[in-house]
Amino acid sequence: MIWCLLAPSLAIFLAYRVLPLAWNVVLSFEDWSPLHPARWIGWDNYDEMLFDDDVFWQALWNTLLFMASAPIAIAMALGLALLVNADIRGRDVYRTIVFLSYPLMTVAVAIIWRWMFDERVGLINYVARSLGLVDRPIEFLNSFDWALPSVIVANIWQTLGFYMIVLLTGLQSIPPELREAAAIDGAGAVRRFWAITMPLLRPAVFLCFVIGMLNSFTSFDLVYVMTGGGPGRATELLVTYIYKLGFAQTRFDYAAAVTVFFFALLISVTAVANRLSGDDAGAMRAD
Amino acid sequence: MHRYPRWPIHLALLAISIAMLVPFYWVLKTSVTGENIFSYPPSLIPHAPHPFYYVDVWYYIPFARYFLNSVAVSVLTVAANVTLNAMAGYALTRDFAGRRVVLMLFLSCMMVPFQATIIPAYLITGRLGLLDSYLGLALPQCSTIVCIFVFKASFEAVPSALADAARIDGLSDWGIIWRIMLPLSKAAVATNVILSFIWSWNNFLWPLIVTRSADMQTLPLGLARFLSYQEDTTGALYAFCIMVLAPGILLFLLAQKEFIEGLAAGATKG
Amino acid sequence: MNQGMIGAPPDRPRWRRLLLNRFVLVPGVLALVVALWNVYVGLHDHGRVAGRVADAAGRPVADATVVLWVLDFTTYVETSRTTTGPDGRFVIHDNPSHNIQIGAEKPGVGRSTRIPVRLYFRAEDVTLRDPLVLKGRD
Repeated sequence: MIWCLLAPSLAIFLAYRVLPLAWNVVLSFEDWSPLHPARWIGWDNYDEMLFDDDVFWQALWNTLLFMASAPIAIAMALGLALLVNADIRGRDVYRTIVFLSYPLMTVAVAIIWRWMFDERVGLINYVARSLGLVDRPIEFLNSFDWALPSVIVANIWQTLGFYMIVLLTGLQSIPPELREAAAIDGAGAVRRFWAITMPLLRPAVFLCFVIGMLNSFTSFDLVYVMTGGGPGRATELLVTYIYKLGFAQTRFDYAAAVTVFFFALLISVTAVANRLSGDDAGAMRAD
Repeated sequence: MHRYPRWPIHLALLAISIAMLVPFYWVLKTSVTGENIFSYPPSLIPHAPHPFYYVDVWYYIPFARYFLNSVAVSVLTVAANVTLNAMAGYALTRDFAGRRVVLMLFLSCMMVPFQATIIPAYLITGRLGLLDSYLGLALPQCSTIVCIFVFKASFEAVPSALADAARIDGLSDWGIIWRIMLPLSKAAVATNVILSFIWSWNNFLWPLIVTRSADMQTLPLGLARFLSYQEDTTGALYAFCIMVLAPGILLFLLAQKEFIEGLAAGATKG
Repeated sequence: MNQGMIGAPPDRPRWRRLLLNRFVLVPGVLALVVALWNVYVGLHDHGRVAGRVADAAGRPVADATVVLWVLDFTTYVETSRTTTGPDGRFVIHDNPSHNIQIGAEKPGVGRSTRIPVRLYFRAEDVTLRDPLVLKGRD
């Protein structure tokens, strides 16, 4: 009877998570085409991916850059969380305002920021020119240098609220007696922060890192609508490349190879982060 | 307690709030006046606002159709989620052979993002004959592991005496879930509903892959298609943006507390 | 884990609590507004466009031709015309659209500019506030 209860969920996960992983691996070793039955070709797809495909390396580099922007967002969110956690009136209003951008449709967010960065009439250019920072408008989304940072800025705007909420929850779970005891003992505010708050926040910060990493790996919506992969391939991420390979070029086999690499990278980065934060920190625990 | 001046904090938070709200204001302003699309320098205050871009959008694109599709898929997803997740969460609170294996399986499935499965998921959905249908759109999202664990934690907090007494009285597992566990887990149900609704409502990649015909498209798809047809030459695009964002914002403001608590719980419960 | 759903508090009847619950109240109000709007639209969508034509001095012009253009994707297409009565007023009865232009002309008196008119819904009944002013010689 228990298994009857579990069966539907299990079926969905087996069908849409476990089976696809295995199928991806199998596909990546085949030459798949709608025109002829699949043939086993061994490592050919991987050879092509690693040695012949510049787009793959560009996409990988972009994804890593995107990932590296997560700590910036988390640091900003930490500052925000500290501010909102202070004993002031209206903190719920501030919290709501900052978090408002997270549950929105990413497609709409992409359109809004696409236009904010517009070179003719975008707000960013206007502010930069009014402040005298630049003489001529910068073509943010059309330049090879500025496209990816622009997308990253939009991403930070959207995810800041989520990190802040997680960190705020962590902050609020620190008993104030600890800080008061330290204050009585003569520790200054900065010392209190580093010695007491940060260690106790480690699980929350680790969680933010994991989510941030997952987010940078899977930011398809934002990139696809904002730049479509960027001028040339300047904002192409692994995930948009996989989509284009699979559904624009119908090269399911090659896309599967890239997907396997993508997933392996994700797992290894998570494992490294887990190890760095002292093994099994935070959320992932089976009881 | 500490005594430090409050006003710098207010100032900083105010500045940040303004920075976070500026994009909304800008889009709202353009959707209402149509300025700043061709003119430079942009103006801060709207001159002569009018709602006619919204009228244009309403008649130009099948907004009602897209909205209906999104609602249908989301309702399907939410109903399936609450049911399936409650069942699985309850099952996980009981002790049975293979429980550890199932738990491990679920936990490891959490690490597989949807984007790593799109190609086989497309092939599977095609084999099932569900391409371009509401069920096909909803199926991969019909159960989420985070929500299963939220239910599990919530059910575990129910005193076992209640369930035991009911079982002795002859109530089946199914009855226990619906009559005892769920009514006592309103917060978990709210979390489930909100999380699965938002994920389904905002989902762009899967509908992009699975829909073939124009009238099965959901709202995010419709918005992206509109962008590629119209570029940004008219205030109608921004009116469409606002029309698309409005339900999300409204729902968020209505269910703020549940939303934030649900996300925090979902994230931290692993 | 008492969630308080068993029995209503004695001072407020259950149906009232249900009604004032924000998840019922807000959608309910929205549904009501939508219904009222649809009723209004249903009552006012005959497609009547009324107005008047005057010359440069402000005197009403009789027998002027008034033309209605309707937006068809990206251009305006003429769909109907009518003539003003002796008092310079006209009524067009079959406007199907929400985005139209109106112009008037009379040989010998002049021609007016094409006035764009945006409506709130298709075939809204509208009476133009300002007259169409005929200028110049034709």
